[in-house]
Amino acid sequence: MIKVLYFGIAQEIAGKTGEEFGVESTTGLRRQIYEKYPRMKTVVFRLALNGTMLTTDTSLKDNDIIALLPPFAGG
Amino acid sequence: MKQRHLVDGPLTTLLISELLTLGNEDTGAGALSLFIGRVRDDEQEGRKVTAIEYSAYPEMAEKETDVIIDIVRSAFNDVRNIIIVHSTGMVKAGEASLFIMITAGHRDQATRACRHALEMVKDRLPVWKKEHFSDSAEKWK
Repeated sequence: MIKVLYFGIAQEIAGKTGEEFGVESTTGLRRQIYEKYPRMKTVVFRLALNGTMLTTDTSLKDNDIIALLPPFAGG
Repeated sequence: MKQRHLVDGPLTTLLISELLTLGNEDTGAGALSLFIGRVRDDEQEGRKVTAIEYSAYPEMAEKETDVIIDIVRSAFNDVRNIIIVHSTGMVKAGEASLFIMITAGHRDQATRACRHALEMVKDRLPVWKKEHFSDSAEKWK
């Protein structure tokens, strides 16, 4: 299982700060998230794996932490 | 995790004055450039922003801020000290939420490095904001 953390509006859509998914890639994760939360399709989000931003789809292993990051709005 | 770049709540006058004294002993720093970001009471559809609620991915925000500092340091060889602090939680209109202070030997790199750091904070820091309005409405920005 991998752990998914939600931030910003994604946290509001999911209604929680995080949860676990049984997936083997970020492609599979996106598919499951869209199925579970159709509203997530309206958010342009990037993924970070264990605190590092991902630029391509990647495979995942047990205990990985994926953060779902809507557009940043600091400052 | 020890937070070095994130502070819960507004950046108070006391905190800002303390941050301003950091590096005072470095008498070779002839220039200090400062940016303070404050919450603006924007008006939208007849209602005003009264506060912004900031949230962050703390582990990544701390790490990314260190990356920003490293990048600025390598791009501007006259820079001596870099301090970046961002608020999380509720910050009311008029209160400060972002502090960037850069010292350098001379004014040119101090001012340019400060602007560069600010743009990177906007671009790279995993921080989000939810606007709170005078009619109690809320909106993610």
